[in-house]
Amino acid sequence: MSTLTTAATKPIRTDLFVASAADGKPRLLGSRCRETGRIYFPAEVMNPDTHRVGTMEPVEILGSGHLISFTRVTRGLPGFPSPYALALIELDAGPSLVAQLEDWQDVDLAIDMPVDLVIGTIKLDKDGMTLVGPKFRPRRT
Amino acid sequence: MTKIYIIGAGMTGFGPQPEIEVHELARRATWDAIESAEVGPEEIEVCYAGHAYQGPCFGQKTLLKIGITGIPIVNVENACASGASAVLGVINTIRAGEADIGLAIGAEKLTTPGGGFLPTVADDLDSSMGRVMPAAFAMIARRHMHRYGTTLEQMAKIAVKNRRNATRNPRCHLKKEVSVEEVLRAPVIADPLTRLACCPNSDGAAAVILASEKVAHRYTNRPVEIAASILVSGLRTPHGIVDDRSEMSIRAANKAYERAGLSPSDVDVCELHDPFTIAELIHYEDLGFCEPGEGGRFIDEGRSEIGGDVAVSPSGGLLAKGHPLGATGVAQIAELFWQLRGEAGDYQVPDARVGLAHTVGGGVTKLESGACAVHILKV
Repeated sequence: MSTLTTAATKPIRTDLFVASAADGKPRLLGSRCRETGRIYFPAEVMNPDTHRVGTMEPVEILGSGHLISFTRVTRGLPGFPSPYALALIELDAGPSLVAQLEDWQDVDLAIDMPVDLVIGTIKLDKDGMTLVGPKFRPRRT
Repeated sequence: MTKIYIIGAGMTGFGPQPEIEVHELARRATWDAIESAEVGPEEIEVCYAGHAYQGPCFGQKTLLKIGITGIPIVNVENACASGASAVLGVINTIRAGEADIGLAIGAEKLTTPGGGFLPTVADDLDSSMGRVMPAAFAMIARRHMHRYGTTLEQMAKIAVKNRRNATRNPRCHLKKEVSVEEVLRAPVIADPLTRLACCPNSDGAAAVILASEKVAHRYTNRPVEIAASILVSGLRTPHGIVDDRSEMSIRAANKAYERAGLSPSDVDVCELHDPFTIAELIHYEDLGFCEPGEGGRFIDEGRSEIGGDVAVSPSGGLLAKGHPLGATGVAQIAELFWQLRGEAGDYQVPDARVGLAHTVGGGVTKLESGACAVHILKV
């Protein structure tokens, strides 16, 4: 893990991302089917489309994508930032995921806006531990 | 295929009832249903009990104190579609010839201290990222607005209609009418949805008694026929629930129309799954009441009002009558039973002959949703 992980922070899940790949950028951890070439996030053991086992290989997914939709949640759950922006992001590599946005407050968010993966705070757990994970920052053009 | 009929229904009021324990709520609805059907408790041969969060052996605990024990009792969890799934379970048991009279119960108690959002599922990825249900439907709303130009005012009109309908329903949770302005200016939950665009978390219970063709007429000369009872689950889809249509609703409705030999234009009254305003607007399209993209115009033209093309949620729907998850699907069917018998009182839809109940439940990452049930009733 990167320097983001200190005593007071931990990943929201250990199988979702690497904070710093070989090029220093974060990646999502997924799987790719050797037969169909399709990429899945989060990683799948069995291919849910072909129902075949043993065809998946781990893959690091580049975190560029665009907004399919978004909302600013004013009344969130305990531990979450208030407010926070939540979006459905379609990655250029294929899969989609729901994630919070980072540095969105001064941005005029719009469907199709390009975004890039960052690793940031998702919420505090009930012990006050900071849980970090994949978030997306609107791309400055 | 043997015909199945509803011969009785019961329901508690919906809304906060902190002093009444949930099995007691279910018991009251059950007893009302038994009395309305004029069946003896000993004549009930099977029970399915739907709920989402009420613990093990819910049906057994409910029926124990009214002396119904020993029969097969199945407890059903299918999130917000738990109740509708329970009705389907009873129908299929009767259809299989295993029983002639069966009981479906739905119940939930949600007014826990703190209130607010439904409990999230710890192992669900979207939930752990902050995908509360209002956020999911806010993203759906934005897609529909983007694709079809649907407006905030059109969505708000759904809440206005259902709150107005609910003022005539003594069992409803929210009893005050609201204006478009009030809906738009209410505190934002997840933009563009305000508090008044979201259903309340309610306590409540409902029950229906179902009977085979062979015995139904012994109990009533006005049974209501179940013309179709369809349950589907959501497909794995890249965008999950976030879409400007509900594929599973379309699929379930089409199958139900085909099974019933009816079309959307035959439906006089519909109790539709409207946890958020945008949901009802999209489901007008999914259920075939109008073309894709026309949901906004459908509400603008008043076509879903009592007296319009199809009266949608004359009870007030989830938005106003309330949404005790497991109770909702059974309650929708009980409402239609009363509508088709002309017993709905101040919110009666004139000359209602065909009713459709539509329930959706369950937020699961990568699925559109967990379950969708469509029931068509007719007289």
